[in-house]
Amino acid sequence: MSLEPLDPPTSSNPRVRQVEAILHGTVIDHIPGHMTLKVANLLARENDQVSIGMNLRSARMGRKGVVKISGRELDARTLSRLALIAPSASVSIIRDTKVVQKFIVPMPKLFEDIARCANPNCVTNHERWTSRMEVINADPLTVCCIYCERNFPATELVLL
Amino acid sequence: MAFLATALPSAPVQFTGRHVVSISDFSRNDLIHVLELATRMESSQSPARLDGKLMATLFFEPSTRTRLSFEAAMHKLGGKVIGFSDAGSTSTKKGESLADTIRMVERYADVIVMRHPRDGAARLASEISTVPVINGGDGGNQHPSQTFLDLYTIAKLFPELLSGERELTIAFAGDLRYGRTVHSLLTALCHFKVRLLLVAPRGLEMPDQYLHAAVKAGLVVQEIPTLQEVVAQSDILYMTRLQEERFPDPLEFDHIKHSYRITAAMLVGAPPHLRILHPLPRVNEIAVDVDATPHAHYFAQAGNGIPVRQALLSLVMGAV
Repeated sequence: MSLEPLDPPTSSNPRVRQVEAILHGTVIDHIPGHMTLKVANLLARENDQVSIGMNLRSARMGRKGVVKISGRELDARTLSRLALIAPSASVSIIRDTKVVQKFIVPMPKLFEDIARCANPNCVTNHERWTSRMEVINADPLTVCCIYCERNFPATELVLL
Repeated sequence: MAFLATALPSAPVQFTGRHVVSISDFSRNDLIHVLELATRMESSQSPARLDGKLMATLFFEPSTRTRLSFEAAMHKLGGKVIGFSDAGSTSTKKGESLADTIRMVERYADVIVMRHPRDGAARLASEISTVPVINGGDGGNQHPSQTFLDLYTIAKLFPELLSGERELTIAFAGDLRYGRTVHSLLTALCHFKVRLLLVAPRGLEMPDQYLHAAVKAGLVVQEIPTLQEVVAQSDILYMTRLQEERFPDPLEFDHIKHSYRITAAMLVGAPPHLRILHPLPRVNEIAVDVDATPHAHYFAQAGNGIPVRQALLSLVMGAV
């Protein structure tokens, strides 16, 4: 298996995997612990086989979550949605158990039709119109609705 | 006007066909360009005419000054006006979307002036319309033509605003959280050398995003506890209306409203050059006895809406 271990190897148990490996699909790692179920909910379709690891030990984050989806690679829209709720997560594409691509979730400049504006009086919540939010700060992730011009932390947004 | 001589030379500015949605869309040069043209409009030195042009006023919310002054400005330029001032009498009542209303009106008129209760409605309209959209107020968000006239008023009173020869002290008082005029004016003032004093009841303070923008732009910003303290040290006192519905407890509103009311007695000993502005309508926050003092400038400010809106209409329709 060429997948990277989720935990730093230790001398007593160098390659312990805390969430079952997958043959083909996508692994989302380094998810902030409290966002793990949200990420799984966001990514999983009805018939997907999903493995979830919560509160796993992480050298970088202390505790983290991992979500593995078998048989599917993420499209651009799903990656944008992931960027909004878990901007520090890493994504590995798995084919025949091998990591063929690994990257940090790309942060778009603009979130388009990804989340509902948190301002209840924003026109996009009342007209049939696409929501558009510009990223104005990466950490903590903060966006500005280009319609109502209000700034929001990403944590206040509801995904569409 | 004196302030023109002190304004920095502005680069060529392209306005034809442009929407006026948010003051954030305008550079310092743009702002000065509009003020310069408004000055020429006021002194009848501009040849701009809009004969044969039609302005549609879509007022989904009530308005007195904005609608009347846009209409007056259009008539003065030789143009004509169509529109409504009550959304209840339009197809909106039947469920027509804003987008569809705009797609129709853009075929009737050469420019659209719009007020709408939803934040961001003007931006949405501008993405659809092929004719310029001028935002006459979108919910609690923006009211750029008011900001242009506020800036014009301040620059007429204090040419130093544009020349930068002296740092002006401008105080905002009242509801700074929900008041769109103070948000827009603060955004515009970020282009100039200004010290800002803020006086607001607890819970109605200026939102952080505007404070951060002001500080980032290099403005000195201070929160001051009482109105009386800013009277003694300001060039401009910009009052806004406190709205009772913002206060969960009516008793608290009753108490607060007296603390944010300026009276003639409070102006005894104020610097002679202090001028009080207000976007109007005022309710209780400026006592009627202030009107007779030399500090009252809010009606003159409202009058400045005509040349400023003449300038905006002429610019976006390419008449100058």
